[in-house]
Amino acid sequence: MPTRPVEDLPRHRNLFLMVAAPTIWAVHFVAAYATTAIWCEKVGADTAGLTWLVTGYTVAAEALIAWFGVSMWRQWDYMDDQDYIHDGATDEDRREFLGHAGFMLACLSFVAVIFTTMPVWLIGSCA
Amino acid sequence: MRPSDCRVRVSPGAPTLKSLTPAGCAGRPRRAVFALVAPALLAACGGPQSALDTAGSDAATLSHLFYVMLAGAVVLWLAMNGLMLWVWRIDPRPMPPRYARRLIFAGGIVFPTVVLAALLSWGLSIMPDQRAPGDGLRVEVTGEQWWFRVHYWPEGATEPVRSANEIVLPVGSRSEITLEADQVIHSFWLPSLAGKTDMIPGRTNRMSMEPTEPGEFRGQCAEFCGDSHAWMAFTAKTMMPEEFDAWLAAETGPAAQPEGALAEAGREAFMAQGCGGCHAIRGTPARGRVGPDLTHLASRLSLAAGALPMTRAALVRWIEDPAAVKPGAKMPAYDHLAPDTIEAMAAYLEGLE
Repeated sequence: MPTRPVEDLPRHRNLFLMVAAPTIWAVHFVAAYATTAIWCEKVGADTAGLTWLVTGYTVAAEALIAWFGVSMWRQWDYMDDQDYIHDGATDEDRREFLGHAGFMLACLSFVAVIFTTMPVWLIGSCA
Repeated sequence: MRPSDCRVRVSPGAPTLKSLTPAGCAGRPRRAVFALVAPALLAACGGPQSALDTAGSDAATLSHLFYVMLAGAVVLWLAMNGLMLWVWRIDPRPMPPRYARRLIFAGGIVFPTVVLAALLSWGLSIMPDQRAPGDGLRVEVTGEQWWFRVHYWPEGATEPVRSANEIVLPVGSRSEITLEADQVIHSFWLPSLAGKTDMIPGRTNRMSMEPTEPGEFRGQCAEFCGDSHAWMAFTAKTMMPEEFDAWLAAETGPAAQPEGALAEAGREAFMAQGCGGCHAIRGTPARGRVGPDLTHLASRLSLAAGALPMTRAALVRWIEDPAAVKPGAKMPAYDHLAPDTIEAMAAYLEGLE
């Protein structure tokens, strides 16, 4: 199983890092909808600026999610031993499980943030 | 039953739609093949209140969306069950983990992502059209408990044409519909023509409808709004433009004079009982705005917001005790009046075409 000893760091056992990407997705969702609601009420029908603003949120959110995704991918350490079952009571299993789950959640969040932004790109009006 | 028996669209001069829920109608002729296979399942695919039997461009878009999604779901169902049949029965060998993982990645991650992205793009691309701005007539509908106040605002009008519980729209143009509510939230739904939109107190919502063929339809309040929510319906007619113009001109005019002694007596009783405090009949002293406008009551397809047919017997029943028909109805019962008086009032109202 383990081909090299890895020292478990505090971040390797941190549950919050696993759910960081979905949290960014949630924050992006609320920010995009709140901004759109306020824009349509206060600024009006000219939504060009709104499109750029929400696209900006999306770029920032995706960059953060990608960063967490890469970090989780490394923590999973799949290429090392191609291990995708982590049911042992060991530090390595916990570390790789959190990395594995965090990586998949980051992939899901990445796609979901794009889906959240699509109405701005495809509809682009306050109607 | 022949498929033609199920047609509810009527041409001018044909008998009007008396029953609003024709039982046993399984669909339009082009779907007759399906009707032969599963009549019971398809009973809701036709009729005056079906999102699948469309007479408006927005409803047609929604119906198309439904059929595409249905077809996709059927294909997916067959593929998934076929796959299960294959791996469990036809070729139940263990699969190399490498293939299994690829299958899960392709079928569980890539495929749904691509399909959902495509469906979302398509849905978002057709969504704004459902709220396209109207290009002529504006109809202002207010949800009351439990009926619909309807005001027609033709282009350039300074005063609306007041009506209730029936929406009449011209074929071939997009009419603007503005939606308001009095006390509680209602929802305006005329499935043959378009999707539904909520009516919210203190807000003005808008939608639009573009009828594509003439006919008679039924709509329904689609948001629970109190005791008689289920009885809060309305009828709708779509007409060719010239026919609509004639209808609107007639609707704008005052009410018909009572014909015959009975109707005349009914008119006197109507005024003497103070009905005009709540109801308006243009051309008479009755100017109330609390209840539905009755100026052209008898030309509508139903009475009491879709609860009763437009017949004298139903008018009598309604005047005697509205709450017996629609629980919670605000109109008081007039069962203390002599039956002859109520009959006369019904005769008068029946003449208000």
